[in-house]
Amino acid sequence: MKNLKYSLICCSLALLVFYSCVPLDNYDMPEETLKGTVYVAGTNKTESIQTEVSDQGVRIRMLEYSWSDNPQPFDFYAMQDGKYNNTKIFKGNYNICVAGPFVPLQQYDPSGNLTVDGSITRDIKGTVEIDWEVEPFLKIEWVGEPVVNAAKTKITASFRITRGTNNPNFQQNVTDIYLFVNSSSYHVGQHNHDNRYSGRLQGNAAQAAFATGDVITLTTQGEFSPERDYYVRVGARINYQTEGQQRYNYNEPKKANVLSN
Amino acid sequence: MKTVKYLFISFVLICSAPGCMDLNVPPVNVVTDDVIFGSEDGIRSFLARVYGAMPIEDFRFNHTNGINHFYAINPFSCLTGEAISRDVGGANTETHTYWSEAYSIFRDLNYFMETAPSYKDKGGFSDAQMNQWLGECYFIRAMTYFAMVKRYGGVPIVTQVLAYNSDRLEELDIPRASEEEVYNQIASDFDEAYKLLPEQTSVSRANKYTAMGFKSRAMLYAGSIARYNVTELFDPNTQKRLCGIPSDKAQNYFKQSYDAAKLLEGHYELYTKAWSATDKDAQYKNFADMFFDASSPENIFVREYGYPYSVHGYDCYNVCLQYMTSTYAAETNPTLSFVEMFDGLPRKSNGQIQVYDEDGYYVLYEKPMDLFANAEPRLRATVIFPGDLFKGEALEVYRGIYKVPVGEGITRLLPEGSTELYNSVPDIASRILMSTNSQTQETITDNAGNSYNAAGASGVFNNQGVACLGGFGLRKYMNPDMPADLVVENRSDQNWIELRYGEILLNRAEAAFELFLMAQGEQYRTDAYNCIRQIQERAGADIVPAATDITLDIVRKERRKELAFENKTWWDLKRWRILELEQNNTLFRSLMPFFILNENKWFFDDRLDETNKRYTFDTRWYYKSIPSDRINESPSLLQNLGY
Repeated sequence: MKNLKYSLICCSLALLVFYSCVPLDNYDMPEETLKGTVYVAGTNKTESIQTEVSDQGVRIRMLEYSWSDNPQPFDFYAMQDGKYNNTKIFKGNYNICVAGPFVPLQQYDPSGNLTVDGSITRDIKGTVEIDWEVEPFLKIEWVGEPVVNAAKTKITASFRITRGTNNPNFQQNVTDIYLFVNSSSYHVGQHNHDNRYSGRLQGNAAQAAFATGDVITLTTQGEFSPERDYYVRVGARINYQTEGQQRYNYNEPKKANVLSN
Repeated sequence: MKTVKYLFISFVLICSAPGCMDLNVPPVNVVTDDVIFGSEDGIRSFLARVYGAMPIEDFRFNHTNGINHFYAINPFSCLTGEAISRDVGGANTETHTYWSEAYSIFRDLNYFMETAPSYKDKGGFSDAQMNQWLGECYFIRAMTYFAMVKRYGGVPIVTQVLAYNSDRLEELDIPRASEEEVYNQIASDFDEAYKLLPEQTSVSRANKYTAMGFKSRAMLYAGSIARYNVTELFDPNTQKRLCGIPSDKAQNYFKQSYDAAKLLEGHYELYTKAWSATDKDAQYKNFADMFFDASSPENIFVREYGYPYSVHGYDCYNVCLQYMTSTYAAETNPTLSFVEMFDGLPRKSNGQIQVYDEDGYYVLYEKPMDLFANAEPRLRATVIFPGDLFKGEALEVYRGIYKVPVGEGITRLLPEGSTELYNSVPDIASRILMSTNSQTQETITDNAGNSYNAAGASGVFNNQGVACLGGFGLRKYMNPDMPADLVVENRSDQNWIELRYGEILLNRAEAAFELFLMAQGEQYRTDAYNCIRQIQERAGADIVPAATDITLDIVRKERRKELAFENKTWWDLKRWRILELEQNNTLFRSLMPFFILNENKWFFDDRLDETNKRYTFDTRWYYKSIPSDRINESPSLLQNLGY
């Protein structure tokens, strides 16, 4: 019995002693800040790029090379209006680049060599602000206000789409033009819309409408409930994949007063 | 104290005793090469293990848990629109990582191929034996590379045993090969297997034609990638294209697929044991039985199960609620969107099912099965219709009971495109009695005094996970003879048919038709037509009238119908690069039966999935992300785009 007691004590002691061998995580919390805005080039930083809040919008990628030649990227995503702000970043030296529905800042030749490199390498300490100027694939402007029909079941909107870049490598056909509709959120886009109602032109029809250069008018499809207000926004994309996805360019969202009209 | 001293001395003596022995003896707890490679039994045990580890997407696979997992809820078929499940919230890609498992298999196989031949004399093996085993190694290696390339694109190719040397770890850091090189490696491994393997084997081991059958599948994938993929990723260090294949290679791959498929002609045939050209019931029975007949001439490669050593839970997870024994049921709920692909249903001009008469009222039926009176027999063998018999009991699926007089007729319950819950529309709730779950079934009595439950024994309930969601039960591969008390986890043991001749005909038809589209000759279209025709006749579907009527859509649709719920469709939609078009904020459709009180009649409402599962496919998923811990170990692995 006594033996049992001793061995129990020994075991508990050993447990306690070895437990202290586990290293305590006493690193500081990440508290540096990286923020900025992705602007449309040529607007003298007056116009930021319109995007969507998701990993299909504008991605900010940070790479810390001090540990590995092929580090695990740290990604975060810009807000709907092209601004970004991350207040939880570890101190360090990072290579930073943005990717989205615009002419890529990093371009590769057909064998994978980096030919254009617009990335920035910077020490992140305290608050660092980096703005970017990019050439969007497409520019979309509202023409007038979206109009609700008399029965309050459809919205019609007019807009104009033009190329945002003269770069000959990014003049692919327009494959989709959408009038995205959302019944509850200002954050509307292809990640967050009601597929039943969103008006659309796809494939050849989209390119044909774009190619005329005229004002395009789209109406929502089906008939939605008049019992609420809707948020609408136009998105269009060309047949080019940025990081594995065809990404939409947008104009700024508008509220269509259906209920509160 | 004396005892302690003696004890100590004996302890020292015992410890030093082994010093007197010869230490140069083989360790008994390590299996050495000559045990494995020196006898037929050893080799058989080796092969059994690699066959078992070979990536087969069967009853024990799904997109979240991966390969050979003991349970498989979250059915893979719920990523394709074939079905919806309470456990699958919408579009997704595979979330399991399949990487190191594959490289363990490669190492085992390469080791076998390098070592086993030197034991040929010692074991007294014949040439034929040794060739078969080596052929099987090539076969399994090709299968495993195929499992990798269809997920990641180009991966490192390892065809010899790598030596571990801690001083030269960088030698093990092998960059990714191009996607094209991996497919070529697969083709050459299958060709090598074809040369070495015997003509005939048991159906769970590879023979010549198994290798060619799978080659036709792999080359079809390669051809589709070359033709339809738009993603490009190059490795600047090796100048190789990791994602995508140049489009001028498509024709060669389709030709290889076609030739391989054609080699199987005469060695296998479609299962028609219970089939009759004139009898739809026989056609239905034939298609349903095919998956349970071990002697089916259609089976090319089968993963065998047998209770109690090797089991799965397919019946338990997918059985409808009324047949439930455990706490699982109805994981896979076929959708109306899927059912509408089949022939023999009343249709609107847009191809959707017609449940209304000319005046816009619901058509009333005496029995629920009347709507499906002319349905394609293959459909009946794939899903269970409301009211159809399974295990000798009619499947009871209905959403509610229409309790007020019908009058001139019933107009549509919800506006077109509505996703509203029936219960939350006051006008519907006042006319129709519904139940939220089976424990609180409400009942109603008709004028004659008969009492009815508000919803069927299998549902549909709006607040019970295990209820039927889409309006149909799952029939394919479901064991109709399993006693109710055995419908529990890890009790099912029907075999998984990974490759059957039906798929070979479809591979051949698709490859041929692609070749025809590439202006390789009219004979390819004729051949595609003949293959499709055989499939359609056996299925009891409408037959395409002539070769000139064949389109790519018909070929693909036939494939989706024939191979539904066999875990192939997601890969097909992926290689055709149409998943992002099919799943773009998409809701799938379901069919809800209703019973009309006092009339004893039924009507059906076609609607968007009431559980509101929206599907949007992300084009990045065409290439899966490489596990980050593998990149940390092997820094020359370039990550796929968008991750």
